[in-house]
Amino acid sequence: MSGMSIIKSPDFDWKLVTAALLLSLFGVFLIFSAQYHSNEPGAQMYYVKQLIWLGVALIAFFITISLPPRLYDFSAYLIYFLLILMLVGVMFVSSKSGASRWYSIGPVNFQPSEFGKLAVLLALARYFAYTKLPPTSTKRLAFSLILVIIPVLLILKQPDLGTSLVYLVILFSVWFFSGLSPIYLMLIVSPIVSLIAAFHWLAWVIYFFLLLLVLFFSRPGLSFSVLTTVVNLLFGMMTPLMWNRLADYQKMRILIFLDPGRDPQRAGYQIIQSIISIGSGGILGKGALNGSQTRLEYLPVRHTDFVFSVLGEELGFIGGVIMIALFAFILFRGMKIATKCRSNFLATVAWGVVTIIFFQMVVNIGMTLGLMPVTGLPLPFVSYGGTSLVFFWVLIGFLVMADSRWQEY
Amino acid sequence: MTQGTTSKQQRLILGSLFCGIFIILLIARMFYLQTFRYESLYKQSENNRVRIQSVTPKRGIVYDREKRPMIENRASYSLSVVPVEISKTETTERLAAILSLEAEELNRRIKKNLISRFQPALVKRDLDFEKIAILEEQNELYPGAVYRKDQARLYEPNLGSECFTGYIGEISPEEMKTLDPSVYKAGRVIGKAGIEKYYDRELRGMEGTEYLEIAASGQLLGVLESQPGVPAMPGNDLVLTIDKDIQEVADSVFGEFCCGAAVAMDPRNGEVIALVSEPSNDANIFSSVIPDDLWRSILADTTNPLLNRPLDGQYPPGSTYKLVIAGAGLELGLIDRNSLFPTPCTGGYKFGNRVFHCWELGGHGKTNVVQAIERSCDVYFYQLGYKMGLEELSKYSRLCGFGKKTGIDLPQEASGNVPDKDWYDRRIGKGQWTQAVLLNLAIGQGEILSTPIQLAQFYCGLANNGRVFRPHLLKTIIEPDGRETTIGGELSYTLPFKQETLDILKEGLVAVTQGEHGTARGSKIKGTVVAGKTGTSQNPHGENHSWFVGFAPADDPRIVVCVIVENSGHGSEVAAPAVKKIIRAYLEKYNLLNQGTAVVEVTP
Repeated sequence: MSGMSIIKSPDFDWKLVTAALLLSLFGVFLIFSAQYHSNEPGAQMYYVKQLIWLGVALIAFFITISLPPRLYDFSAYLIYFLLILMLVGVMFVSSKSGASRWYSIGPVNFQPSEFGKLAVLLALARYFAYTKLPPTSTKRLAFSLILVIIPVLLILKQPDLGTSLVYLVILFSVWFFSGLSPIYLMLIVSPIVSLIAAFHWLAWVIYFFLLLLVLFFSRPGLSFSVLTTVVNLLFGMMTPLMWNRLADYQKMRILIFLDPGRDPQRAGYQIIQSIISIGSGGILGKGALNGSQTRLEYLPVRHTDFVFSVLGEELGFIGGVIMIALFAFILFRGMKIATKCRSNFLATVAWGVVTIIFFQMVVNIGMTLGLMPVTGLPLPFVSYGGTSLVFFWVLIGFLVMADSRWQEY
Repeated sequence: MTQGTTSKQQRLILGSLFCGIFIILLIARMFYLQTFRYESLYKQSENNRVRIQSVTPKRGIVYDREKRPMIENRASYSLSVVPVEISKTETTERLAAILSLEAEELNRRIKKNLISRFQPALVKRDLDFEKIAILEEQNELYPGAVYRKDQARLYEPNLGSECFTGYIGEISPEEMKTLDPSVYKAGRVIGKAGIEKYYDRELRGMEGTEYLEIAASGQLLGVLESQPGVPAMPGNDLVLTIDKDIQEVADSVFGEFCCGAAVAMDPRNGEVIALVSEPSNDANIFSSVIPDDLWRSILADTTNPLLNRPLDGQYPPGSTYKLVIAGAGLELGLIDRNSLFPTPCTGGYKFGNRVFHCWELGGHGKTNVVQAIERSCDVYFYQLGYKMGLEELSKYSRLCGFGKKTGIDLPQEASGNVPDKDWYDRRIGKGQWTQAVLLNLAIGQGEILSTPIQLAQFYCGLANNGRVFRPHLLKTIIEPDGRETTIGGELSYTLPFKQETLDILKEGLVAVTQGEHGTARGSKIKGTVVAGKTGTSQNPHGENHSWFVGFAPADDPRIVVCVIVENSGHGSEVAAPAVKKIIRAYLEKYNLLNQGTAVVEVTP
C-alpha cells in the first residue's frame, strides 16, 4: 500500500492530520507575529523559513507512511545502534564552546538526540512486541532500562538534561503501556522521588512511610518489596551525606552542570517576562501583532521556547485554550489508536509518540506559565526550528500508520 | 486485573485521566494569570521595567598566619547603565559629561560589558562620592543609570607583598574567551596576579540576583515581590602561611640597594613565611584604575619593578650552588669527607692555556670538601666539576630541583636553566664549546640560572634531611559558614643524597658561619647556630649580585632564608647580614634562641 492510497482511503484520519497542520500553521503565524517588529537582521523572515520547513515536514510525513511498517520493525535495533554511534561520534565533534550536540551538514544542524527519541522508542517497541516475559519480570524491565540508559548517559554528557528526561519518560510510559500496573511503576520510580525528598529529612521520612504503606497493601512480592525498600533507604541516606560534603560553590556547579547554558539570572528574567506577557493578554488578548511585551522585545527567545507566551499575550485565554485543545485532540486520538491497534509493535510506537508530544507540551507550556523550570524543550509543531518540526510530523506519520496499516502484519 | 498488570481498556482510561489532569492544570493556571492577575500584569506590561541586578558577593579576606588581614575590602560605588533604558542620545551625553568621558567612550564601555540589553552594564568602578550625590539628586535626568554599593580591595601597604598578593582588575575580553562563562561575566573583576589570581575561584564567591521593579518614569519602586532573587554567596577567606612580622623585617633588609628578593620558608613543610620582591608595587593602585602617567613611569623604570624577583628573577646561583657539586661528588664516590685534590689552590687554576681564578687571590692551599665549602674555594670545585663531567653535573642539578618550577601556589614562576650537552650544542653549536664551561658551572656561574625560590627550596632539603616540600602560601581556607580546611605540607621530591652526604654538607654549611675561615663568620647569631652559604652571581652588565642562603638552628632547622641583593658585590657583605636579620627576628619571635649559650665549637 503506498502513501497515496493511504491518504485516499476512507479510513484515513483526516482529523488527526488537520489538527497537527493547524498547530503548525498556528506556529508559523506566531513566529511571524513574534518577529514582526524585530530589528534583528533576518528575524522578520523566520516565518518564511518555518513555512519552507513545514513543506519539508509534510514530505517527511508522506515518506514515513509510504514505507512498509515491517521495515521499521526489522531495522529497529539497527537504527538504535546507529543512534548510539552518532551519539558517541558527536562527542568528537569539536565546537567553539567545547561540547557539541550536533553535526553541521551545510546550513543544517543535525542533532542526533532529537531523532534519537524515535530510535529508542522503536527499539523498545520491538523488544516489547516480541518478548514472552510477563510485564513484571525483572529481566524484561532491566533489559529495557539498559536500552534507554545508554543513550541517556551519552546525552547527559553533552550535557542536555531536558532531552535525556524525555527518554526516561518514554521508558516509564512504555512500561505502563505494556501492562505494568501503575503501582509497580510508582515503586520503580520511587527512588528518584527519594532522591529529591531527601533534601529535607522530614519530607523524606513521610515519603518513606507512605512508600512502606503502599508496599504493605499492594503486596507486589517479597523480593520486589525488599529491593524497593533498600534502594529507597540507600538513596535517602546517601543523598544528604554526599550533598552536604560539597562546598556551596560545588553544589552550584553541579546545578549548573545539570542545567547548562541556562544562566540563572536570565532564566528568572524570562519567566517573569513570560508571566507578564501571558497575564496581560487577558481573556481575549491584545490582538494579533499587537502584544506590547512582544513588540518591545522584553520577551526573550519568543519565537522558539517562549512562543506560547506570544500566543497568550496576543490571543489571550481563548487562543491558549484553542491551542491546548488541538494538542488534547491529538493526544486522545493517539491513545485511542494505540489501544485499538492490533500490531503490538505499532501500538507501542503510537503510545510512545503520544508520550513525547504530551511531555514536551506540558514542560514547555508549564515553563511559560511559571509552573516548570526552564529547559530548552521546544513546543511540538509550534516552536521555530526545522528539525523539531520535521521530527514531530514523522511522529504523526507513525500514528497514522498505527491507525491504518496494522493489518499488514 | 491480574497481579501487577492492566488491561488495554484500563490503560486507555488511566492514560486519558493522566493527560487530562495536566491539561486542566495548564488551563487553570492560564485562567488564573489572565483573569485574577490580569490588571496588575497588564499594568506591568505597559510600564514594563523589571531590572535584573546582580548582587556582588563579598570577596574573601586574606589573612596572614596569625589572622591579621593582608587583603580586605572597602566600600566603593560603581556605575552601570541599562542599555534599553538609555535610548536618548542626550542622556548618554549628560552621563558622559559627569564621568568626564567622551560619549563615544561611554558607548564603547557599555558595549564591552553588555550582557543583555535589559541588564545593567558596568561603565565605571570606584566612582567619587560627589558624583554619586549628583546622580542621586537629579536621577530623573539620568534614566537607566544605576549606581550601587560595590567593594574595592584594600591591600596592607608597605610590606613588599604585592609579589604574592597580586591584585585584581576587570576581566579582559581575551581572558573572557578562556573562562567558564557560568562563573565569569563581562564587567566583573578577577584576580590578575598572585594569590588573587591563583585562588580566584575560592575568593570570588557566587554572584546573586535581584529583581527590581522600575516605574515608567525610571523611578525605582523596590524589589519585585513575585520573583524572589538568588542571594549572593560570599567567597572563602584564606589564611596564608606568611608571617606579617617577618615579612616586614624581610622587606626592610635591602637598605640602600634598589633591587633584590627575599624568601623565608619553613623547611619542615614548605610553608612560605616571607616573600619579598624589591622594588615592589602598590597593589592598591594596581587594583583600581592606574593613572596613565604613573603606568608610563613604571614601564620606564630601569629597576624593572614589574619583575617578580623571587619567582621570576633568574640569576646564576654562584657559590650557593657548590653544595650541589659537593653532594654529587660525594654520592658518585669522586671524593670523600677528607680527600684532597692534587692541585692546591694558589689563587687560580690553569686549564688549557687559560687560568681560572679563585675569588681569594691569595689562595686556599689544599682543602677537603668541608673546608672548601667553608672558604668557598673555587679551585677545589673546578677540579671536582671537571672530574664529574657535564652529564652527571646536569643530572644532579635537575635531581636537586634546578631547571624546573617549584610548583608554588602562585600563577607565574620561571623554571631557571640547567644547561647540558644538547643545550650547548644548540646554543653555541656542536664542537664550538669546550669543557671550560664545566669549570664555570661548577662554581654556579655562566649558563646555570636559578630563581630565589628554587634555591630556597633546595636548601630546605639540605636542612630537612633531604626531604623537600613544595613551597606554598595557603594555610587554611575558611568557608562562609566557618568551616575550615587546612592545607598541609606536600612532599615534592627527595634530594639524591644519602644521610652521610647530607651530614658532611651540613658540617660545611655550619663552618661557613662558625669556622675561623668561614666566609660568613661575621653573621653569627648569639644563642643559635646558623648554617648557610654565601654566593656571588657574576653580572656582566654591572656590579655583581650577592646571595646568601641560610638556615637555623643548624641542629633542628626551623627557617630557611634566601636573599639576593642585586649589584651589591660579595655575598658576605650585604646578603649574609640581611639573612641574619630575618632569621634572628624569626627565632626571637618564636623563642628559639638559647639564652646565654656559648658559641658552639666546630671542627675546622
